[in-house]
Amino acid sequence: MKLVRYGTPGREKPGMLDAEGRIRDLSKIVPDIAGEALSPKSLNKLRKLKPEKLPLVRGMPRLGPCVGQVGNFIAIGLNYSDHAAEQGLQPPKEPIIFNKAPSCICGPNDDTLIPKGETKLDYECELAIVIGSRARYLAKDEAMDAVAGYCLANDVSERAFQIERGGQWTKGKSAETFGPLGPWLVTKDEIPEPQRLDVWLTVNGEMRQKSNTSYLIFGIAHLVWYCSQFFVLEPGDVIATGTPGGVALFIKPEPKFLKAGDVVTLGIQGLGEQRQRIVKFKE
Amino acid sequence: MKLVRYGAPGREKPGMLDGEGRIRDLSKIVPDIAGAVLTPSGLAKLRKLDAKKLPLVRGKPRIGACIGKVGNFIAVGFNYVDHAAESGVPLPKEPLIFNKAPSCICGPNDDTMIPKDSTKLDYECELGVVIGSRARYLAENQAMDVVAGYCLANDVSERVFQHGRGGQMTKGKGCETFGPLGPWLVTKDEIRDPQQLKIWSAVNGEIRQNSNTRNMVFGVAHIVWYCSQFFVMEPGDVILTGTPPGVGLGIKPEPKFLKAGDVVTLGVEGLGEQRQKIVKFNK
Repeated sequence: MKLVRYGTPGREKPGMLDAEGRIRDLSKIVPDIAGEALSPKSLNKLRKLKPEKLPLVRGMPRLGPCVGQVGNFIAIGLNYSDHAAEQGLQPPKEPIIFNKAPSCICGPNDDTLIPKGETKLDYECELAIVIGSRARYLAKDEAMDAVAGYCLANDVSERAFQIERGGQWTKGKSAETFGPLGPWLVTKDEIPEPQRLDVWLTVNGEMRQKSNTSYLIFGIAHLVWYCSQFFVLEPGDVIATGTPGGVALFIKPEPKFLKAGDVVTLGIQGLGEQRQRIVKFKE
Repeated sequence: MKLVRYGAPGREKPGMLDGEGRIRDLSKIVPDIAGAVLTPSGLAKLRKLDAKKLPLVRGKPRIGACIGKVGNFIAVGFNYVDHAAESGVPLPKEPLIFNKAPSCICGPNDDTMIPKDSTKLDYECELGVVIGSRARYLAENQAMDVVAGYCLANDVSERVFQHGRGGQMTKGKGCETFGPLGPWLVTKDEIRDPQQLKIWSAVNGEIRQNSNTRNMVFGVAHIVWYCSQFFVMEPGDVILTGTPPGVGLGIKPEPKFLKAGDVVTLGVEGLGEQRQKIVKFNK
């Protein structure tokens, strides 16, 4: 299934795509695409629905982030062999984990707001995992059971805030609009091989990232298993699994950071596309 | 006011203390001590109530974390002048910000469970700040307006996971039971000066930390202002403001980490006390 949330920011309604790719209103069935609605039991209920019998959503409403009420927005650093190579780094021995503030989550096509004091705005196309069941200290063969599905994400970053402002990365990863998720939460049955998906990103039409999830250093199951050893995962938690080579920071001979007016498009095979316009800081 | 959440884990009800320190049931007035209830208008409604007219909660129910639905669990590192010294790090030029997983939040007297494969479990008594209004890019003189109140916290940590497992501190800060909050959310009007509070902790009755929030490098107002420059904060977000020297890791000549059976007690003046028993890992 492809689940969506549509409508104005903060008032999104749940929906699902029908066979023609049109949005059907799910708001009489579930309150949101969030929490318990992502459990295996709930997804099975949704799967039994006939989309053509659900109300058709007319027009072209704004798409919101495809998961609501994200409790923990987790991200993995340095997880593609080509991204490690472009930095001249050895692949890490174990996953590097950090957080993005849940308040940075936004729709897949919402404008990216340049933060106050920004100098090095950057993009990162990523495959994100959406957790569907509470997960703690999983055994390795239990990991995929906890996964509800996947979505496309842009781990928008401010590199000076991330690296030059003392210690931890969270400051450069969490600004308003730094977490576009969607357009769709695609349930895992539709993505039998999450580690064979094309990943790409362009700026103003110029290809910047072009890779495949086969270059992931630590795969989906490993990441879910690993995270569950360090903190309890809850339904609706999102894990962005890393980005391939081609980010602005490491372009040779000079970095090419984003500026107001730029348009970023990105996509992952089977998960749709995003499009963000970069806009100036506004108080 | 002193607001509480009481009852079984995951099913806590909202309450407030009356003039005699007994719990009064607020569940017919508000759904939880969370979100919109923490806004100035939400708290104003509660302040108008006559506690004696609310149902008395009998017996001694478990006290849960004093805030529900925490969206972002933020923490500041190395924020006491001599804690940086005992850890062998220079004083930060600006606040060092990291996150604890919201799923680690628990009641003030719940057992602390040693994580799987943990070897260096540690305690950190901290003053917690609870956000009551949406906050983005605050001016310095607006910072205290967004604070709903304060609570006592223990920033429980696993030092190997935090420092010795590659990259960010996240892994050592978010384990299950690593975030006791409470016993009370004390509204800010009851704390005349958050920078003049005694702060202490003990293990098996032996005092380990014994300081005052006047030793903070960056004060509450500065931290709230600063965080709002990097991410949007929402009502219910919690910021832990750092810990004084005396943590297990800093003890000379040898660090003294926690082991099963130890009892940790801690307090901040005006915010009550916590007590956790350390228990073995249990899947």
